[in-house]
Amino acid sequence: MTAPEPLVELTTTVNGEVVTATVPARLHVADFLRQRLGLTGTHVGCEQGSCGMCTVVVDGEAVKSCLMLACQLDGRNVQTVESLAVDDELNPLQQCFKEQHALQCGFCTPGMLMTATALAHQGGHPSREEIREEIAGVLCRCTGYENIVTAIERYFAESVERPADEAAASLPGGAR
Amino acid sequence: MTTVERPAAADRSGPVTRGVIGSWQLRKEDDRLLRGDGRFTDDVEPAHVLHMAVGRCPYPHARIVRIDTSAAEQLEGVKHVLTGADVRAATEPLGVLRPVPGAPRLPYYALAQDVATHEGQPVVSVVATSRHVAEDALELVDVEYEPLPHVVDVLAALEPGAPVLHPDVLDSNLLAANSDGSGDPEARIREADVVVEGRFRINRVTALPMETRAVVAEWRPGARELTVHTSTQVPHLIRKQLAESLRLQESDIRAVASDVGGGFGLKLGVFPEDVLACLHAMALRRPVKWTEDRAEHFRNSTHARESVHDYRIAADAEGRILAMTDVYATDIGGWNSPFGSAQLSSVVLNGPYRVTDGYAERRVTLTNKTPIGAYRGYGQPEVNFAYERLMDTLARRLDLDPVELRAKNMLTPAELPWKNPTGAVYDSGDYEKCLRMAAEAIGWDAHRGTPRTPRADGRIRGIGFSSFVERTGYASARFLARRGSQFGAHESVTLRANRSGGIDVWTGVSTMGQSAETAFAQVVSEVFGIGYDAVKVHAGDTSASPLNTGAFASRTMIAASGALKEAAEELAAKTLRLAAWRLESDPELLEIAGPVVRRRDDASVSVTLAEVFGTAITGQGIPPGEEPGLEATSHFEPADAAYSFGTAAALVAVDPGTGEFEIERFVMVHDAGTVVNPTVVDGQVRGALAQGFGAALTEELRYDAETGQLVNGSMVDYFPPTAADLPPIELLHTEVPSPVTPFGIRGVGEVGTIPPGAAVANAICDALADFGVELDTLPITPEAVWRALSGRSDGQGFDEELTPTRENLPDGGVGY
Repeated sequence: MTAPEPLVELTTTVNGEVVTATVPARLHVADFLRQRLGLTGTHVGCEQGSCGMCTVVVDGEAVKSCLMLACQLDGRNVQTVESLAVDDELNPLQQCFKEQHALQCGFCTPGMLMTATALAHQGGHPSREEIREEIAGVLCRCTGYENIVTAIERYFAESVERPADEAAASLPGGAR
Repeated sequence: MTTVERPAAADRSGPVTRGVIGSWQLRKEDDRLLRGDGRFTDDVEPAHVLHMAVGRCPYPHARIVRIDTSAAEQLEGVKHVLTGADVRAATEPLGVLRPVPGAPRLPYYALAQDVATHEGQPVVSVVATSRHVAEDALELVDVEYEPLPHVVDVLAALEPGAPVLHPDVLDSNLLAANSDGSGDPEARIREADVVVEGRFRINRVTALPMETRAVVAEWRPGARELTVHTSTQVPHLIRKQLAESLRLQESDIRAVASDVGGGFGLKLGVFPEDVLACLHAMALRRPVKWTEDRAEHFRNSTHARESVHDYRIAADAEGRILAMTDVYATDIGGWNSPFGSAQLSSVVLNGPYRVTDGYAERRVTLTNKTPIGAYRGYGQPEVNFAYERLMDTLARRLDLDPVELRAKNMLTPAELPWKNPTGAVYDSGDYEKCLRMAAEAIGWDAHRGTPRTPRADGRIRGIGFSSFVERTGYASARFLARRGSQFGAHESVTLRANRSGGIDVWTGVSTMGQSAETAFAQVVSEVFGIGYDAVKVHAGDTSASPLNTGAFASRTMIAASGALKEAAEELAAKTLRLAAWRLESDPELLEIAGPVVRRRDDASVSVTLAEVFGTAITGQGIPPGEEPGLEATSHFEPADAAYSFGTAAALVAVDPGTGEFEIERFVMVHDAGTVVNPTVVDGQVRGALAQGFGAALTEELRYDAETGQLVNGSMVDYFPPTAADLPPIELLHTEVPSPVTPFGIRGVGEVGTIPPGAAVANAICDALADFGVELDTLPITPEAVWRALSGRSDGQGFDEELTPTRENLPDGGVGY
């Protein structure tokens, strides 16, 4: 017989909502989001930090949530793909993905969107080459990436045209 | 025949407001997937669900002497344990959907019986309150194994004295051999001015969908209802296979594949874990979930492509091809998976070239490795690498321009339709036009005469081509029956009008990225006249959709478009009759235009579709003699398979000192017949090219010969292309409608996997022509190029070629 699983308490903010939970110490963030909070938009592809399916934004940075334990979320701010659209409206980044046919099966899409969201938090306007490097941590087996790069490039180009506060408001978290 | 050159997607015009075939429509699938609101199998979480974990054989070949599960059963939270004996008592072996002709049935049970034949084969399964606990329990299962001699090399497995994997069924590891051909290629080879030949080794790769396999099984014994959510391309075939294995009636089973996170051929049929989850759920009367982890995926889903081709081309002094032969051994691993080893190398033996004397022989070989299954291309990339490498070798031997050599031997539009030596009928096309477009786009004329000398950076440029045909769809149900295939060549849909004025479409095809929901709605909109937005496609549920075949073999659109067309026409005709009664008019005078039916000559006389559909659904206000209801089901089988075609060209720069190379440009010219949605077609071609580059350059599953272990079975060690790895790709199209399919559509899903290997290898060999480099092995790595440059073999010598055994094949040559 093995000993009972050690449990840990945590308080974190997920998509603007404060969450308090008691979890097994070995539960990783992706399973916590999916199984405890029902946020199944975050997908699991390898549990080795290699494929990038589970990428979420933690305190503004892209994180592979299979490589982080849920207990490490204590006191931190998490954003998942579910936070992007407001009511029935896709946010501008999602809209660019849709218009550019940047997804096929859609399994990697949340990881791509959250990587791009973290990139937007950093500010600046990455080149196509820089976008390619940034999203190289998320695998896509369907698209060949070209349309994903174009969608993200288009999003950054359009966010120049939008007033700065509106562009910021289109990002998740923050005020909401 | 019309040929239309269409620019690549760069000049994509914005979405149009009404659905027509040939336009870019925003995809039906996207909103849910973009919002994280897709429903993949692991997202399905029934109340009181339990979790399964599977213990696997750590050896390539081992006898299971003893299993003790008592400690595992004692662990708190463990609910149920199954071993091989339980499975044997309760189930039949897994069926094969696309058997190898002439192959005996292997007793492939969901858990290993006495002997496991590859690392990763399931041996024991545990269900517990969480996956964590189930995995803990596996640690407590005590299995005593007796390791047996193993063989992992495909040619070594065919040698006399090799350990035989299935001695109760077979005397050797040759599962079966199949041959096809016409004419007398051996005589032509004797008469020929020149014969080029080579042994081409194709690497073992895997489809690697980003979503691994997954299953959730739920059993209600009183209702006799087994609901199985599973990540599959073929829900109706899963239902059939599960019924057979579990000894249930098909009516007891509902299979559901909502969103599927990529399939690419891997998710074609029942796997052991599907059966296990059902068995546990039926025993426990509680839902059971299993989601494959990536380590399991690398060891017990399926691999693909591994084969050794001994290919010969005979020609006269002018370069006219006289004969083409391919005798090849394909690896099938330790068991026959649902779709077996690739069967299309024989079908498209000769590619786009005119040859009447040809021969293909396939030897399907068992080895102590993960089973081989279907993967996008299904034999076509493999054989293309062989014959296109040899076309360049032939050109060099005869001092001919490789483009002109190809053009001279390509079938012309006037010669089509044409039956090739293995019986495939190429329907139509302009092969040479694609070749010329590729040559022009890549700048062949300027490059051809230049010396292959290093640039300032020390690299030498080379250009290589690969011309191909791609079989899409199936010739017929009769063709499939002759080969024992357990499915049809048709596709089926049900269209049903609703009171909101929309049309619901029900299909057994599952949604795995190929945009079927979008394309189906486009066809219905086009044929019926209703707005694209008013059509909703419901995919992948066997309890709601008509019995169909499924999404594979680039066949969905070419078969489903016919069914959609027939059903939409039937629905439209009745809609017009009902509207005519309502408007006191004549059906011939009316038309459906978006949300209304109106008079062609007076649009003010109209009635909404919602009203007309309402009359049909209630039966209130329909003309005498009409039945209530507005629903149509259609099953459609195309006249024949359609053959896509094209040519790819690669421009590379190679460092002759190190073998390092870069692909500076890659041009793909392709014909998919009539295009339903150009943006989706470009996406399919690009995505398949990415997989083609992976298999050509960076992906290879390696087994250690001594231990029989898969040495790179993880995402950290296996290298599918990332966004930073792919070369610049330029897409060009022609559009020759196929005469054998509705709307002239050709399949498009697989074609991109075919040419990258040969085009890149040919480009490198062109750059290094002065060094006499001839590449014959995939993947093409800088190390392989360096070895070829320095005359260093990789230790895989070409000892004795595989020779045709036409006279004494075990099955007498049933064909592919």
